[in-house]
Amino acid sequence: MSHFFLMVLYSLVVSLFFTLLWRRERKEQIRLFLQLFLGMVGGGLLVAWLMYPFPQGPPAPLP
Amino acid sequence: MAQPDEAAPQQTPAEVAVPAGVPVGNPYLAMILAWLVPGLGHMYLRRVGRGLVFLLLAAVSIWVGCELQGNLYRPLAGQPLTLLATGGAMGMGLPYFILRYGADYAGDIVGAGYEYGTAFLLTAGLMNWLLVLDAWDISRGKKE
Repeated sequence: MSHFFLMVLYSLVVSLFFTLLWRRERKEQIRLFLQLFLGMVGGGLLVAWLMYPFPQGPPAPLP
Repeated sequence: MAQPDEAAPQQTPAEVAVPAGVPVGNPYLAMILAWLVPGLGHMYLRRVGRGLVFLLLAAVSIWVGCELQGNLYRPLAGQPLTLLATGGAMGMGLPYFILRYGADYAGDIVGAGYEYGTAFLLTAGLMNWLLVLDAWDISRGKKE
């Protein structure tokens, strides 16, 4: 499983959960789901893009 | 004298939605059931469909977390924050104790998906704590 797939899956689970927890009307559910899901995935991609110029550095030592 | 419409479809008690403002069920039992098995509190409060979806979401989160060998938090001496994390993870109810004591699950700290798996497992517990509070609100008639 790739990092991106896991991020999308996590966003999907959390967005669905809060949509069902907080909204009852179908239209409001769809709106909130899209806001949460796209916000999380888009935010993750934005942060990844902002971090792109930074060097990776040496691999972390294993504990 | 007006007669009830006999042609109207009959609804089983499980399908009858109780409107907001009307207390339903025992709030303490609802909270305990909601904690033991994610979604069970909502099913008890006649929100069967919603409860099943919550159960599915929690199951997916726990399954992915275990597949990735994430950390199932337990208290560690000298690390007080693990108490907080353990409380969060224990929110998943029975699955936590089955994994910890039944399956002797501990995660794999050198696994490639360790951090991701930990996030999924912790999220499953925290989501279920919110479901416990939601079950309380629904049972007291504060929420639909």
